[in-house]
Amino acid sequence: MIEIDRLSKSYGSAQVLDDISFKVAEGQIVGFLGANGAGKTTTMDILCGCIGADRGSARIFGCDITDDPLEAKSMLGYLPDVPPLHTEMRVVDYVAFTARLRGVPKARIQGRMNEVFTKLELHEVGGRVIGNLSKGYRQRVALAQALVHDPKVLVLDEPTEGLDPNQIVHIRELIKSLAGQHTIILSSHILSEVEQVCEKIIIIDKGKIVEQGTYGEILERLDTERVYILRVGGNAARLATELATLPALTPPRAASAETIEFALRKDAPADTIDKVAMLVIDGGYGLRTLNVKTKSLEDVFFQVTH
Amino acid sequence: MRPSFSVTWTIARRDLAAFFASPKGMAIFFFFLILMGVFFNSFMHTFFEMQQRAPAMGGQVPTLEQMLTALFHNLHFILILIVPAITMASFSEEIKNHSIRLLHTAPIRPLHIVLGKYLAALLMMTLILVASSIFPLFTIKYGNPDVGVILSAYLGLFLLISSQLALGICISSMTKNQFLAFLFTMLALFMLLILNWLAPNLSGGGLLEDVLKYLASMQHLENLMKGMITVKDIFYFVCFASFFLFFTNVVLDSQRWR
Repeated sequence: MIEIDRLSKSYGSAQVLDDISFKVAEGQIVGFLGANGAGKTTTMDILCGCIGADRGSARIFGCDITDDPLEAKSMLGYLPDVPPLHTEMRVVDYVAFTARLRGVPKARIQGRMNEVFTKLELHEVGGRVIGNLSKGYRQRVALAQALVHDPKVLVLDEPTEGLDPNQIVHIRELIKSLAGQHTIILSSHILSEVEQVCEKIIIIDKGKIVEQGTYGEILERLDTERVYILRVGGNAARLATELATLPALTPPRAASAETIEFALRKDAPADTIDKVAMLVIDGGYGLRTLNVKTKSLEDVFFQVTH
Repeated sequence: MRPSFSVTWTIARRDLAAFFASPKGMAIFFFFLILMGVFFNSFMHTFFEMQQRAPAMGGQVPTLEQMLTALFHNLHFILILIVPAITMASFSEEIKNHSIRLLHTAPIRPLHIVLGKYLAALLMMTLILVASSIFPLFTIKYGNPDVGVILSAYLGLFLLISSQLALGICISSMTKNQFLAFLFTMLALFMLLILNWLAPNLSGGGLLEDVLKYLASMQHLENLMKGMITVKDIFYFVCFASFFLFFTNVVLDSQRWR
């Protein structure tokens, strides 16, 4: 489990992180969402011991990264935004080197490498020099170094950045398959990626956490008014004027001859939707569908960061 | 806790392999040997010439040890180019291509990283030094030099290199620009070389001159070149290397807090 407690960091006069706190439960995949320069990489660098924080603490399974760095780092696998590769090395030599560096016992290195190579489909390029590999393979090699010592915690900073669509799907599937065995923090500015892969979302903006929770929870909190889409048999414009008489609704808008869009005010009585349905049926408009228009993560992100 | 040496050796082995995998490593190796060969050839010519002329001119016949000492002094100048070329990549390259994060996030102490890098550089230079022994071996085969003096000179060169590498690694840890690391290391080594000659002008005599002369590497190397192995001189080189390795450790640790 990861605990970030009141972390602050500034570079000169620029405050990069401002009192951020969050927790990640064991086995959970958490998406760290933010625009470029929001403070994602700084948070991850502090969590992994690359840089120190001005204030606050970062703990991994109870071990503080500043007070007990060796113990904390032994539980960590980190894939930074720029893959830390030695491009002149062969893939097998590089991964074996990182395994030794992370203290994997000599007798276990080959076994661990086989496991990780199978998982990441790296066997066919094992003997090749990293500098000659495609970007997708390089990213997989970088992921292999983060996984080879079987860490409890995986920190992935924009793992699909710069990959082609097929590679992106593959890496996402892989990350999903790691859930449960590892606690994962994944940073991204690709919203659909976080929506697909992560159980919990943390949105960071200008060094502050602006929202955190499951996608549903965040949506619930941000939904000041719920938007509905009503489809009828016809005469949508006339129905819209009739619906406008209901005070619990924002003024309905006929989007087409059969579709009306309206929003429910936050203080609307519970039976408002019943009344809408009765108006449609009694007026003989022919009720086809009545759906809640769901907010996308894009909408949520835009709302909390503007 | 893992034994420190295993971590240090893991880092050193990778750096060594990277050195010999790159054309730069081979180029340094051969540049050094070719340059030394040119000097050796030229010195041998002078040596033979002087041997023939000296009796006729009433001078003393030069000895092989004197010729070798002159060669080793020239080596000191070559090292001012070779050592920075080796140490410039130690940290600068890793900082530039971000692979330093691999070391920063591994469960190892900064000192392991410093010692690993130092060991790799020391092994590279030792190999170069061993390869350079072809020249004194040549004189042993065809002449009759004092082997003790040669061994003492080699000990001196090894100690000199050990101290120069520590300084170079320290400078490399401060910048991601390899060229700057090379330039500043070269300048620092050059200053140390000429400090012995500059000391009287810089200090105007007295205690300061003694201190400056003590800091100059040439002063300590001179005794070893003559075959005099003293604790004082060995202590100087060991302290010099330890100081810069300790300082590199401080630099590495402090990078977290910038």
